[in-house]
Amino acid sequence: MIPHYQLLSPTFGELVWDQHPTDELLGFQLAYLTYIQSNFSDTLAEARQGFTRISLVWKNPKTQLDFLAQLKNIKLPPMELSTTIWQVPVCYDPEYGQDLNVLAESKNLSSSELIQIHLEPIYRIHFFGFLPGFFYLNGLSPLLHTPRKSVPMIAVPPGSVAIGGNQTGIYPMQSPGGWHIIGRSPLAFFDSKQPIPVWAKAGERVQFVPINATQFRNWKDTSPKSTSQ
Amino acid sequence: MIEVLGKAKLLRCPPGTSLQDEGRLSGAQYGIPSSGAMDQKSFRWANHLLKNKSNAVALELSQPGLQIQFTQACLIALIGANALVNLNQNKVSNSSLISITAGDILEIGAFLSGSRLYLCIQGGFQVERYLESGSDFESITFPSKRSTHDLLTYFPYPQAQNLGAKPKWVTSWFESPKIETYRGADWELLSLAQQELICSTTFHLSKFSNRMGIQLEELVSNQLEELPTNPVFPGTVQLTPGGKIIVLMRDAGVTGGYPRILQLTEEGQSILAQKKLGESIRFQLLE
Repeated sequence: MIPHYQLLSPTFGELVWDQHPTDELLGFQLAYLTYIQSNFSDTLAEARQGFTRISLVWKNPKTQLDFLAQLKNIKLPPMELSTTIWQVPVCYDPEYGQDLNVLAESKNLSSSELIQIHLEPIYRIHFFGFLPGFFYLNGLSPLLHTPRKSVPMIAVPPGSVAIGGNQTGIYPMQSPGGWHIIGRSPLAFFDSKQPIPVWAKAGERVQFVPINATQFRNWKDTSPKSTSQ
Repeated sequence: MIEVLGKAKLLRCPPGTSLQDEGRLSGAQYGIPSSGAMDQKSFRWANHLLKNKSNAVALELSQPGLQIQFTQACLIALIGANALVNLNQNKVSNSSLISITAGDILEIGAFLSGSRLYLCIQGGFQVERYLESGSDFESITFPSKRSTHDLLTYFPYPQAQNLGAKPKWVTSWFESPKIETYRGADWELLSLAQQELICSTTFHLSKFSNRMGIQLEELVSNQLEELPTNPVFPGTVQLTPGGKIIVLMRDAGVTGGYPRILQLTEEGQSILAQKKLGESIRFQLLE
């Protein structure tokens, strides 16, 4: 999975992969990102990662051309992905998952069937975006793919677990949002008082663990537990 | 020598006022937006006039009505929009550099041209920095925007200076509708007809405009599928499934799923940041 480079401006371009997002592709992306960040740290201004691209901003036009000249010699094996799995408690009670019943009905599922399908996979964290602390997860069952709402909600509560398009994710803070809300987690997902404001990293995984409304209301520890496998 | 920190009191603060600098470069890995001054060109020029470090924190104003009092002498620069400025109720004819004495009250009135005005102070406003930036942003800085009664801290300048010949700030550079842009990462997905339409249309700024993005009035009909979520930047122009064109600005999220059709130059972003609701723009593609 060797990427090609799309030159977009004298100081800006993207590493492009044409594949769909998978664990294997993520392994290659993280390998390239790590390699570039450590070998071009003096000349690279900024790097951003998405599902199929890595955008690179260079300090000046010459440094981008230098990188481009070297790129064809860079052939990296994929990075081995982390074995860490974060346990993320989610309360699927309709009090917290206000769109759950309507969404289930639209898919001819019972609410508990929908919850089971959502709980089944262990999701892979690919990168952060959209909001501070919002991680993009891969692995949602195609049974739950749902177009975003046509009218976004003005204030989605923090911790809301939602489905939008072919993705599921968690709103780290209150925000407008167009995804369908199926539950809420009592954990904190972003804290700028910490030197590193998020606890998860790209390449790690997330497993949702169901809790009931009483457990949710009494939840004390807002940091997550993890296992390794 | 007793060093007393200066305080700038916001006696009256209009909405849309925030502290800004060059922005945060290293926050994207956590999903933190760039933030920073919407019009980087004016912001940089103001800091240059004051011989500040390039990342000195300034007050960004997007509406008239600010009334601010300084407890200590200082030197300030007002660069960006061309606004009516009063110092102790006297009109200031050239406000690019103003020498302030303790107790002075400065008032910003109507914007005659432009949309963003930068109030920079010698040495910059002193705030806690996060990821090397003092730019206000929700959940990152506390408070995340500025309001009436707030106090801003600065290092006082010992005495009011004789400024000699002052540079005159000109605004003609942002009055042209022309916005220079590169092709975006997904430009080639557009049909030739769409590409030509985007290059030949005079677009107008809609009321849906803020520090996150500026939405344009005219639609460009669009059947493109939604794409995998990938990086976006300030100046990235997105085309939504409904045909809306959104120019992402400094507080936009760091990734997005809509086709990224254009990428404005930094100068283009600064020009756009100075445009008002209803003003017209034309995109000019660079090779």
